[in-house]
Amino acid sequence: MNAVAAYGLLAHGLIFGAIAALLPLGELRQRAALIATATALLAGIAPVMHATFGTPSLTLLQLALLQLANKSPSPLTYRPALGLLLFAALFYPMALGWGGFDPYALGYQPWPLLAALLPLAAALWWCRQDVWLTLLAVDLAGYATGVFANLWDVLLDPLLLLLALIVVSRQAVLRLIAARIR
Amino acid sequence: MIQLPKTIPRWLPPLLFIGALSAAFWRAPAPLAPAFEPPPTAAPSLLPASFSSEMLPKVAEWMQATSLTQLPDGRLAAAWLAGSAEGAEDVGIWYSRRGKEGWSKPLPIANRESTAGGTFAHVRSVSDPVLYAEGSWLHLWYGSTGFGGAATNVLNHSVSTDAGQSWIKPTRLQTSPLANISTHARTPPLPLADGGLGLPMHHAFIATHGEWLRLSPNGQILDKVRLPNPTPTLQPAVVALDAQRALALLRDAGPTPGKVQIAITDDGGLHWPVAAALPVPNPNAPIALLRLKSGRLLLAGNPQNGREALLLWLSADEGKTWQASRTVEAATDGGAEFAYPALLLGRDGRVHLAYTWRRQGIKHAVFSEAWLEGGQA
Repeated sequence: MNAVAAYGLLAHGLIFGAIAALLPLGELRQRAALIATATALLAGIAPVMHATFGTPSLTLLQLALLQLANKSPSPLTYRPALGLLLFAALFYPMALGWGGFDPYALGYQPWPLLAALLPLAAALWWCRQDVWLTLLAVDLAGYATGVFANLWDVLLDPLLLLLALIVVSRQAVLRLIAARIR
Repeated sequence: MIQLPKTIPRWLPPLLFIGALSAAFWRAPAPLAPAFEPPPTAAPSLLPASFSSEMLPKVAEWMQATSLTQLPDGRLAAAWLAGSAEGAEDVGIWYSRRGKEGWSKPLPIANRESTAGGTFAHVRSVSDPVLYAEGSWLHLWYGSTGFGGAATNVLNHSVSTDAGQSWIKPTRLQTSPLANISTHARTPPLPLADGGLGLPMHHAFIATHGEWLRLSPNGQILDKVRLPNPTPTLQPAVVALDAQRALALLRDAGPTPGKVQIAITDDGGLHWPVAAALPVPNPNAPIALLRLKSGRLLLAGNPQNGREALLLWLSADEGKTWQASRTVEAATDGGAEFAYPALLLGRDGRVHLAYTWRRQGIKHAVFSEAWLEGGQA
């Protein structure tokens, strides 16, 4: 067993449980999340998610854990989700071959990236985004364990972006409905 | 949005961040400038002209994509794909060694079940192996797909320390940000001066281009460099020319008629600027490249009209010019296909060539440098 594979499987089980916790089940919500996590791990859902989405980022795992712990609403609100999507709209095409520069490769020897996180952390603290600053600190601590080869894999992943897209789309739909009602 | 409990002082998150950032800085690799292990000094090959060939043991209807290496005890080892059909779920990687009594009974060393068991991810099929002996370690890199086609290929790595009898569970190499997909390897790695390896590979999702993966002596990925080319390119085959320079020849996946594409690094693999394509045809087919004992370069590939012949070219000037050397095999019947060459220089100076023979088997040819110059075997 290798650490990153075990992490990926377990994290996807917890993420599946967190998705189940989003269902409006009232008092049964926590039990449903527990059953969903166990089902994902035992019935082969987590390996399928692992194959489809790759290893989840620590950011996504922390958001899932907050959801499972009933700490809501999620820190991934409209503005962070939109910011994440805008960043990803540049990052992923470049990392997958658009142009000559590969930003993903920076994550293997991430000294410049780590240095760039300092002003980001200062901005988060200044804006009183203490939860996001803590999430970022846990991300970096996770990278320091050596489980992840690339710093980007700790910070973001396609499933996190899908979640951000849902958050942004939901907000856009709600605004549209509100405008029509007026 | 949720807030931290009021009992947590406001200075704690930044303090945690600074601590974690310091730990991350400590963990981040800071390797030396990359350099290749210089190739041995060129020396004339004194072996007389010789050529022989044999088929590898047949294990399935469909066999393809061989990789060759030489074990520390001098035995040749081969790994290849075999199954009922290309991309089928029963395709696995088979392994055999050639001793004095010929090729050993092939062993299955990786398949969808063993890969899923090691990576904890669903696997539909496995693809091209790369076998490489490094001291007592025998490396195996190979691809696997979960959902989707070849563009979703993930690279896996396994190691044997008993000459291929048993293998540790595979691990996935984290080489791509989008679900780690679309990384393929087919050609052998190069040893680096720091004890690590450089693995040629290619990416084939959205853009199709060669890549160079730098691995530390303990297998950690240290860098990934793109081999940019205006033409879509696949499967770089790389030889070191000295400690800083290396030549990569690539399969042309662009519009026909294709030519062998080229990239040259002169800084140990940090950059691979594109160079003019070689005047050597490439019908979007795999190639193999080898530095011979004499220092000349040997290229194996197919002619312009397709895979009905397997040809060899020689270069005596580090890849600047190439001369046709030999036709290894050719046929004009409809079923003829001689492709997927793999080259290896044996420690005795003989050249080993393995290639897919009519998609029905793998042929292994052994020849000397004198045979390449037209000498009769």
